[in-house]
Amino acid sequence: MFALRSSAPRVLGRVSAVRPATSTMLQRGMATVNDPPAEKEQSKMKTFSIYRWNPENPSEKPRMQSYTLDLNKTGPMMLDALIRIKNELDPTLTFRRSCREGICGSCAMNINGQNTLACLCRIPTESKDDVKLYPLPHTYVVKDLVPDLTHFYKQYKSIKPYLQRDTPSPDGKEYRQTKEDRKKLDGLYECILCACCSTSCPSYWWNSEEYLGPAILLQSYRWLADSRDERTAERKTNLENSMSLYRCHTILNCTRTCPKGLNPGKAIAEIKKQMALGA
Amino acid sequence: MASLMRPTTLLRQTALASRSAAFARPAAVRAAAFQTSSRKSAILPAGPQVIQGGVNDPAPIPTPSAAHGSYHWAFERLVAAGLVPLTIAPFAAGSLNPTLDAIFCGTLLIHSHMGFQQVVIDYIPQKGWPKLRKGATWLLNLVTLMVGVGLYEFETNDVGITEGVKRVWTAKAGTE
Repeated sequence: MFALRSSAPRVLGRVSAVRPATSTMLQRGMATVNDPPAEKEQSKMKTFSIYRWNPENPSEKPRMQSYTLDLNKTGPMMLDALIRIKNELDPTLTFRRSCREGICGSCAMNINGQNTLACLCRIPTESKDDVKLYPLPHTYVVKDLVPDLTHFYKQYKSIKPYLQRDTPSPDGKEYRQTKEDRKKLDGLYECILCACCSTSCPSYWWNSEEYLGPAILLQSYRWLADSRDERTAERKTNLENSMSLYRCHTILNCTRTCPKGLNPGKAIAEIKKQMALGA
Repeated sequence: MASLMRPTTLLRQTALASRSAAFARPAAVRAAAFQTSSRKSAILPAGPQVIQGGVNDPAPIPTPSAAHGSYHWAFERLVAAGLVPLTIAPFAAGSLNPTLDAIFCGTLLIHSHMGFQQVVIDYIPQKGWPKLRKGATWLLNLVTLMVGVGLYEFETNDVGITEGVKRVWTAKAGTE
């Protein structure tokens, strides 16, 4: 991708000052000729089969569209391929992306049957099979690879994901906690709410309207485990029903799929333990 | 009718979420919404997305009830864990105690009832199909009652469940 871009102006200057309407394609074709001989090794073509659905034509069925890229000119990650497809092959392809380093959670999608972040997922080079890209499973699709996460965020809001306290800190400065208490939050605070885990959970597929799902429950536990928070009882009462928490049947798809390597299944188990023992 | 409805129900409701509260979701439309082919599927398709309240409102929190929450969960685990020694006890002791057998039958019945109850709660959501949910719950209650009566009859008029399983387990083909 970089080679193409950097070599384009050079070619333009050499060919002609007058720029015909069709020259864009020509430049791209010539740029590959100028590649250094070291890259002469045979091109590694990879086909990406991508879910397409356009809300402008709601009566048209969703379909899979294939794009073929040369991996020698593409970055190593799935997001690099997607960006290249959008830049060079099909500008109508729609997906979310932002940080390209696994910290924003925007590019969560289903790649080869696994929910993950496109920016953290390498393009598999060992096999010649097509790569299949779908939006997050069992979500309402806004367009192409963009799922509608409105309800997910509404559920997040319902657990009040912020510090709730009534007593001021003794010295009027920040609320302190011991190193041990801080350690309890490791593995919880790293969650970026990409919704990979929730949308991989069969229980969340069936009951997403009422069941909170692994991502939100992990966040719930993050505040239950926080030594500075004073609304633990209220938070637990809000989970005291058959739907919010107890639709978890320890399937553990959440833990398997988490692109950040967290363990939502364990967090949910800890909540259940706290609730049962009243601790 | 259904095909006329389709374009409107298919429209994404993210931006219109606050207005969609008034959307009543009639049963006939719900079933037809995503049926693009004439072939009817055995599984009901998901209905159009319904988002209660505005996009910035928190999702509603159900009324708290420990009986359906932590007590229910803890009881379920205790029953399941209790079944292990109850199953082993008659074989470990080498003798059959009618009281123990009765306790075992009762626990087994509660265990399976609660297990199937989870299936009903999981697969027949109260929100989408309240009548079907009620029907399934009562069907389960009826089945549990029938199994209870059956177990009682088996215990009182026959050899009982432990001895029954034991005989089936050690039965040899052709020797009746």
